[in-house]
Amino acid sequence: MRIPQLVSPEQQQRLHPIGTVLTVVGGLVLLASTFLPWAYSSAALDDMTILGYPSTLQLYAAGFGLGAAVFAFLGRRLARGDGRQVVGWTRGAKTASVAAAVYLVVILGSIGLELGGLVNVVYGGWVALVGALVALVGSRLLVSGRPPRLARRVPPAWLGILSIAAAMAVVLYAAYYGLDQEDAGGFVSFVVVAIGAVAVLFRLGVMRWLSAVSGRHRKVLIFAAFLTAFAFPFTQNGSDENMSIATQVLIFAVTALGLNIVVGLAGLLDLGYIAFLGAGAFTAAILSNSVFSTVDWHPPFIVVVLISGAVSGTLGLIIGTPTLRVSGDYLAIVTLAFGEIFRFGMINLDGTDGPDLTNGSNGIPGVPDLNLFGLDFKDTHTVLGIQLGRFANYYFLLLVLIAVVILIFVRLNNSRIGRGWVAIREDEKAAEAMGVNVFGLKLFAFASGAFLAGVAGSIKAHHDVSVTPDQYIFLESAFLLAAVVLGGMGTVLGVLVGATLLKLMPEKLRFVEEYRLLIFGLLLVVMMRFRPEGLVASKRRQLEFHDDDDELAEKIQSDIDEREATGVVPVGGQA
Amino acid sequence: MTAVDTDRVAELDRREPLLAAEQVTMRFGGLVAVDSVDFRVYPGEIMGLIGPNGAGKTTFFNCLTGLYLPTSGRVLFDGSVLPPKPRRVVKAGMARTFQNIRLFANMTALENVMVGRYCRTSAGPFTSIIRGPKFRREEAETRARAQALLEFVGLDGTAESLARNLPYGDQRRLEIARALATDPKLLLLDEPTAGMNPQETRQAEELIFKIRDQGLAVVVIEHDMRFIFNLCDRVLCLVQGKALIEGTPHEVQSDPRVIEAYIGKGPETDEAAQTDGHHDEQQEA
Repeated sequence: MRIPQLVSPEQQQRLHPIGTVLTVVGGLVLLASTFLPWAYSSAALDDMTILGYPSTLQLYAAGFGLGAAVFAFLGRRLARGDGRQVVGWTRGAKTASVAAAVYLVVILGSIGLELGGLVNVVYGGWVALVGALVALVGSRLLVSGRPPRLARRVPPAWLGILSIAAAMAVVLYAAYYGLDQEDAGGFVSFVVVAIGAVAVLFRLGVMRWLSAVSGRHRKVLIFAAFLTAFAFPFTQNGSDENMSIATQVLIFAVTALGLNIVVGLAGLLDLGYIAFLGAGAFTAAILSNSVFSTVDWHPPFIVVVLISGAVSGTLGLIIGTPTLRVSGDYLAIVTLAFGEIFRFGMINLDGTDGPDLTNGSNGIPGVPDLNLFGLDFKDTHTVLGIQLGRFANYYFLLLVLIAVVILIFVRLNNSRIGRGWVAIREDEKAAEAMGVNVFGLKLFAFASGAFLAGVAGSIKAHHDVSVTPDQYIFLESAFLLAAVVLGGMGTVLGVLVGATLLKLMPEKLRFVEEYRLLIFGLLLVVMMRFRPEGLVASKRRQLEFHDDDDELAEKIQSDIDEREATGVVPVGGQA
Repeated sequence: MTAVDTDRVAELDRREPLLAAEQVTMRFGGLVAVDSVDFRVYPGEIMGLIGPNGAGKTTFFNCLTGLYLPTSGRVLFDGSVLPPKPRRVVKAGMARTFQNIRLFANMTALENVMVGRYCRTSAGPFTSIIRGPKFRREEAETRARAQALLEFVGLDGTAESLARNLPYGDQRRLEIARALATDPKLLLLDEPTAGMNPQETRQAEELIFKIRDQGLAVVVIEHDMRFIFNLCDRVLCLVQGKALIEGTPHEVQSDPRVIEAYIGKGPETDEAAQTDGHHDEQQEA
């Protein structure tokens, strides 16, 4: 996303020193202002009334101010050289200034809202705003320089591994801290700060460096990520509230990963995917020990998982065989209809319109908790003095499932099957002409996606306690698809991020719950405009959409430099 | 030169044809797009297919590649009739490129070629997920083969670039590499030099000779007469769905009917001499 420049690059070259001074001064003013009171009353957000003692929210602002000042100072000489740089100091300063300004508007706005009018903002708040705006204007005068080259620096292995561990610790703490925010104001300001901080790190080149490092230590990264996820319940100390959200996020994420195979890899638009989750959930509920179960056979859960997956997978095959011959919009319409057929089918299997299988719209309540390997999921266990409740038990089970699903996703993606899928997505006719079994692969994508959703559904049935048809409506399919598109099609990390955002926001912010269709819709439109490849872009998509961006310009520039350096003048003026 | 050509053809004629179209006719409603065409391609030769616009070249091409089932007549590849399914055709050993480049634009050059190996590998989902020995063997083989093919067509430096970012000529060559990855016995090139500059055309020519030297048969559809006459061992000229003449480049280009089909009726000797002249110049150069 681009923030428009105030002045042209040539003017920036001249105005750079002035910009540096303004940014440093503005940043320091903002930093200083956090020691002043910002609000008349301590009732808004947190206590910002004390002189000489910044509150947490003021410390965030101080962080951005200090960042802008320090980065601008470190980048003060950039205009004199050829723009080469290892760390993108001025880029970081620009982003930190923007983040500071946005953050202050949010904070002062919230104070005004909660206390009834901006008169409740005290002088310190206005000083902070002025400081942020000065820094913002100053930072616009800075030159950006070439993209930072930090990512090309290869640190020693111990430092790389340590950085990954540190990053994971930060993620864990941020998750704990963010979920700990009780009121909406605190949560929103935390989200703004987190987004701002990540953006600054991106512009500095640190994120790219980190991703290059993680690429080199892949196994360490994966291990650290799972360890972090595993450690999360231990930060909650038996509180069910956040663990319940976390398990919902995981169920949603597993399902979205399954959908990602269908949509992200094979390029088949499936708008009825929730039906496969529902089929798995109903199968598991019917085969469970619930008193409302309609069959007399109650196999152990391990068997139920496989049956649920198989039922969903078979359903995928049945619906896929005739419909996968159409593609694009037509497939979307057919799958949309299938999702509705599934729901009505479940409602009508109530004994009057058909065989009694699902108790109609009442569904199957009272699905008992799981009991695996002697571990009763409804019990609270104490490990290392920390209580792990019912949801924590499901959380661990889902973590295992998501690990398996990620493994399947990644390995299929990096095989001939994955290449076949992407080829089909790119050009179906050409794929066919190159000997790819187009129909078979599409069907396999559909069926394997359905299988994974069915497995997720079998756990969801026990987690949710009751299974009813109205849980599996079209809207849920749309949200799954939104998570995939928002996060980044074809990526694992992106879909995890997307699923987390889409599930977490309505849970933490009640007003989002009410307007979630509006907000997610707007979010999608904005994303399509500014970042069509999703929050986390797969390497391929990034190249696809931002080919003409910084990196390419950088490459061309360095080519020209090399030519000039070696004295080779390109013939025909093609450069 | 002509003598050598004829000898070569005579020698080829004694062998079994790799691809044989027998009295192929293709009708669309009342329109006869291809009318009783006979066509043979022998292993290790380059066969040209020419004809003015609307002559039925593409239809005939589609009959050969199994995209269309001929209304009457039959196409034999390696002695058996091809199933009308593109991927079976590829499996049987016939690969093609497209007139308007159809690469997998957002895959890297290497991945594009690796897709071509799909039909020669068989690792299933299970072995792919557990990374079984079969998967690892095939994957290593696929990667090595794709890399070798990129080198073969002269694209070894661009393995990791997206196909869409390659220059036009490179995209054409990548398409050929992708087709070669399917281990074909016969390669069909649909206008391989369309839109190319003379230098790129010359490179394409060298590449096709190199492919022929590997023992493959090549069928080329082309508009560029010079290119065709330099390249091919034999040429078939289609006009209005009918095979006008089949023979060595020399025979075809000096045939007044071919010139008439392309340029129209005129002072025939002059035209023939002109085309001939061009051709000789090219040869000397």
